[in-house]
Amino acid sequence: MTATTARGPETATPAVVVHRVTFARVLRAEWIKFRTLRSTVWTVVITAVVMVGLALMMAAIMRVAADTPEMSEGMSQDPGLQAIGLTGTTIVTFGYSFGALAVGVLATLIVTSEYSTGTVRSTFAAVPRRLPVLWAKLVVIVLATAVVVTVALAIAFVATAPLLEDAGLSVDLSDSEQVRALVGCVLYLATVAAFALAVGTLMRHSAGAIFTIVALFFVVPLIFSIVVQASDAAWTDWVNKLLPSVAGERVISRGLPTDALLDPWVGYAVLAGYTVVLLVAAAVTLRRRDA
Amino acid sequence: MIEAHGLTKRYGPKLAVDDVTFTVRPGAVTGFLGPNGAGKSTTMRMIMGLDRPTAGRVTVNGSAYAQHERPLAEVGALLEAKAVHPGRTARQHLLALAATHGIAPGRVDEVVELTGLTAVAGKRVGGFSLGMGQRLGIAVALLGDPRTLILDEPVNGLDPEGVLWVRNLARHLAGEGRTVFLSSHLMSEVALTADHVIVIGRGRILADMPVQELVDGASHRVVRVRSPQATDLADALRREGGDVAPGDDGALEVTGVEAARVGEIAAAGGVVLHELTPVSSTLEEAYLELTADAVEYQAETLDDPAGVTTDGAAR
Repeated sequence: MTATTARGPETATPAVVVHRVTFARVLRAEWIKFRTLRSTVWTVVITAVVMVGLALMMAAIMRVAADTPEMSEGMSQDPGLQAIGLTGTTIVTFGYSFGALAVGVLATLIVTSEYSTGTVRSTFAAVPRRLPVLWAKLVVIVLATAVVVTVALAIAFVATAPLLEDAGLSVDLSDSEQVRALVGCVLYLATVAAFALAVGTLMRHSAGAIFTIVALFFVVPLIFSIVVQASDAAWTDWVNKLLPSVAGERVISRGLPTDALLDPWVGYAVLAGYTVVLLVAAAVTLRRRDA
Repeated sequence: MIEAHGLTKRYGPKLAVDDVTFTVRPGAVTGFLGPNGAGKSTTMRMIMGLDRPTAGRVTVNGSAYAQHERPLAEVGALLEAKAVHPGRTARQHLLALAATHGIAPGRVDEVVELTGLTAVAGKRVGGFSLGMGQRLGIAVALLGDPRTLILDEPVNGLDPEGVLWVRNLARHLAGEGRTVFLSSHLMSEVALTADHVIVIGRGRILADMPVQELVDGASHRVVRVRSPQATDLADALRREGGDVAPGDDGALEVTGVEAARVGEIAAAGGVVLHELTPVSSTLEEAYLELTADAVEYQAETLDDPAGVTTDGAAR
């Protein structure tokens, strides 16, 4: 504290202690930014609530269907349901699609909102090497997603248990396939978050990045599900099964793999591969471009 | 200490900063003066490593900004007001930035108090006025107790009391031996605050000198005389080596002859004088003269509260 002698009257307090910038400190800063936005907190809470709600709704429908022979008959013959595979985990993870939308938008906004508000210039002035910021955001959004989805699935599991038991669809945690579907749901959504973060970093504009995520994960698969049915061309099957959502979702599904779809872990690996490529591209451009 | 060497920034076909070399020294306030669009902000962003120079390099306290281990202790910058997410409170914004350098929350409270934001630190920035945003930006700049301060148009949006505060703060920080680099498009502001001035126009350095020198050098004195015998007087003055130009409303604007001497010449020639006024050109005029050819967006007719007319150029 020898510095005090050289200071003027107004700042005659002990010298300010300023430490080196480390990844742990940048991570702490990004966590503060994440939790101090009401929109973030609300999105997280609503995601969990909706995922639990959808699981409960599906469980209730199954409970009713169990008492209604015509309904269970129809369901057992539905090709769509066959592909997904109807077990307890299908019900518990039923809200994953909504979860992907919410998490994708949230992860995009975490980075694009910095550009739209100008916060990014304060951020990069404090961490001029920039890359630690990207990795810290990645850790924050992936961990936050994993925790929220795990909690939502746990609540859904407990809440739907009585209904599913009555419907004869209890989740069987001794079945490795069912465990894979549950763990896969957490992995899938966490990976979607990382994917969306990379897209947000590359595009920097909220509207464009969110549009891209929604189109890639929700609109294009919808179009292809129709195209695949209508066309015999092999390439449509390939494009369809390699779409990020179609491939990634395989890790959650319980249905038997068909020729038209990838094996669960292969599918997940495809999504993870896209995500890694996008993150590398995001890191390269983040370092080069003007903020 | 900020050192720029051949710093250049090109955006597409437009050269925003053109081979700029300068040094900003510690212990003084250096003004960075230029019209809007002259390249001030771009230069400052390059110093902070936010924009990548097309050519040249710039160092702060001896090395490129991004190479410092404790960037916020080296440079504190106010680059634009309200570069903050509107949904966060001022305190949350400061806490997040402080966390990157392990700066204690106590320091956040200190800068909040120093910048007069105590009452609104818990409020979301979205509701801040431009002046409050500016104070928050200054709080951010002071957070790491930096050796160098870069302030881009710090008095924008501040009330008179705030302007005075920024002026005193800049002088105080320079007095502590820090480097203070402050941009403005107002000559008067720089003249009141800075010791040294770097003038930039269309991306090029037009002047780099002590403020006093710029003022003295550029302000040639003019004497305005009015006389019913204007022609005789003009001839007499020209014989004495004066430069005479007809001003507006029939007055003569004389340069190169002191006011007292003009009176003597008139008396000697028996010329009646109706007016004899020494006029020193203002700082604003000196600045406008310097940057006249370097203004990015020239208005068709110069809107002119300072009384500088196109006639002035004819002198």
